Amino acid sequence: MTSWLVRILPAWSRVRLGSVPGARFVSQTPSPGATGSPAVSGLSPAGHNDAHGHVEVSLYEKNRDFHGFHKDPQVDVWNMKVAFFFGISVAIVIGGTFVHYLPDHGASIGPFVLTCMKSSGMRQWARREAERLIKEREAKGIAILDGNYYDPSKIILPSAGEEK
Amino acid sequence: MLKILIPTLMLFPTTWLATPKWLWTTTTAQALIIATASLTLLNWSSETGWTSTNPYLGTDPLSTPLLVLTCWLLPLMILASQNHISPEPVSRQRTYITLLVSLQLFLIMAFGATEIILFYIMFETTLIPTLIIITRWGNQTERLNAGTYFLFYTLAGSLPLLVALLILQKEMGSLSMLIIQYMQPAPLCTWADKIWWAACLIAFLVKMPLYGVHLWLPKAHVEAPVAGSMVLAAVLLKLGGYGMMRMIIMLEPASKNLAYPFIILALWGIIMTGSICLRQTDLKSLIAYSSVSHMGLVVAGILIQTPWGFTGAIILMIAHGLASSALFCLANTNYERLHSRTLLLARGMQAILPLMAAWWFIANLANLALPPLPNLMGELIIITSMFNWSSWTIILTGTGTLITASYSLYMYLMTQRGPVTTLITAIEPSHTREHLLMALHLIPIIMLTLKPELMWGWCF
Repeated sequence: MTSWLVRILPAWSRVRLGSVPGARFVSQTPSPGATGSPAVSGLSPAGHNDAHGHVEVSLYEKNRDFHGFHKDPQVDVWNMKVAFFFGISVAIVIGGTFVHYLPDHGASIGPFVLTCMKSSGMRQWARREAERLIKEREAKGIAILDGNYYDPSKIILPSAGEEK
Repeated sequence: MLKILIPTLMLFPTTWLATPKWLWTTTTAQALIIATASLTLLNWSSETGWTSTNPYLGTDPLSTPLLVLTCWLLPLMILASQNHISPEPVSRQRTYITLLVSLQLFLIMAFGATEIILFYIMFETTLIPTLIIITRWGNQTERLNAGTYFLFYTLAGSLPLLVALLILQKEMGSLSMLIIQYMQPAPLCTWADKIWWAACLIAFLVKMPLYGVHLWLPKAHVEAPVAGSMVLAAVLLKLGGYGMMRMIIMLEPASKNLAYPFIILALWGIIMTGSICLRQTDLKSLIAYSSVSHMGLVVAGILIQTPWGFTGAIILMIAHGLASSALFCLANTNYERLHSRTLLLARGMQAILPLMAAWWFIANLANLALPPLPNLMGELIIITSMFNWSSWTIILTGTGTLITASYSLYMYLMTQRGPVTTLITAIEPSHTREHLLMALHLIPIIMLTLKPELMWGWCF
């Protein structure tokens, strides 16, 4: 049983409520079309027309398993399968795995080369290596980091009197 | 880069030669394959920053996230448009998809350009398909006004940019981004130099948009069909940010003083447009103003030219692109059912469409910058950087964050909670297509939370 349509035309809005048979009905009392309908009725004959003048019928009427892609049920199902496969299985899952296993390049020197030299890639390796070295040096009981980069005993300085 | 460009070019024959029954299936599939292939661009193997296989097109850690976002958005646009375009004749559907694909092509070339003039030409070229989409497929008569505002605001900003670029070419000898980053910027002392400085940036500030020149955005976003709104919010605004980040390296050291008015406008814009959001009656207009608000933060982050400012800007651009596009898709699901964007008309939707309410919730949480999503990370990095630049900005950015949370919650509560409007009597159930669309928007945001180094750029 189709329910009659109520078209409301307030001046400030163009809401067109559809008679959408088979759609999810919100339980309202009284039922629409009855004289007690809260909406302004009787402005136009029943039959909600879309831009082309056809009556809008929900595609769920003909196809209970409508997925939103196409009115032909077979094309609809295939479109759904293709979209989900390429969207989720390929792009997100396989693409995500690819991105996860990308090498540790990180950011490289960019336009700020004149102002601040930023380090290039291997950030994740650097952090792991640092953690490993800290653990190793703490286990050995030696200082984690020495103030001198080079061993001072290995640096041979010329004596003060040897100027020529 | 060609492995992305050639399949995108081949989408033109696919669109025009596919049988009408399988048109949308094939274009969706091909666009998703292109999107997957674009992920290979994330493999930055070069030590010099730029990965380029030819002199004209290359990628670096700034352009790659935006390129991947662009390629990801095309299948989403096709999915979103499928329903509202289906009543039209097939040749018009093909034309619509052709416009979306051509926009994609120009955007890939824009983000991949190594030569600033190529970037400028592609920047302008993207205006044409967008204008056609807005003015031909928009739903209200205001679309003509919207198209005019959109076209002429952007053109008025970018014609000075053309002159500025030609001057720069004459001065520097080359406009290749690979070379310009190593050139010593000339000191800008005369008035003409200052005008040249402004000319370099105004086009991008209009595009972002900066608060004073933002009027085109609510009109264009609202009047465009869903695919137009998606691409505008997600990618076209970011063209402005990207352009600014490329140009601003050469504009040192004058930018330290000259950028002040624009930083102030950007920060003030966050608060003003956020407050405007709280008073909107049109749902799409609310989302459009929220885009202006977020982009105000991005503009401020870029103009202070600190490494963290840039990093925060890129992260926020990518995260906002996905979140804002998701919100426009959700607004469209309402619009397709009710043919109205008025907030008051679609209340209490959670009771009717509970699954869609879940998507509304996540998208609004992303918009209000919920941790640990990258929206928050980008905002926090920019706010921290701005605080370091000047402590007083925390008042504006903090208030802005508060207002952002308010209007995002307001949007959620107005559409989903509360009593169901008595005017709504029959709403079509949510389509699988709509759920997939939302999933494809929001899953990447969540995944980016786990690997933000894809978005950091070269500064972090």
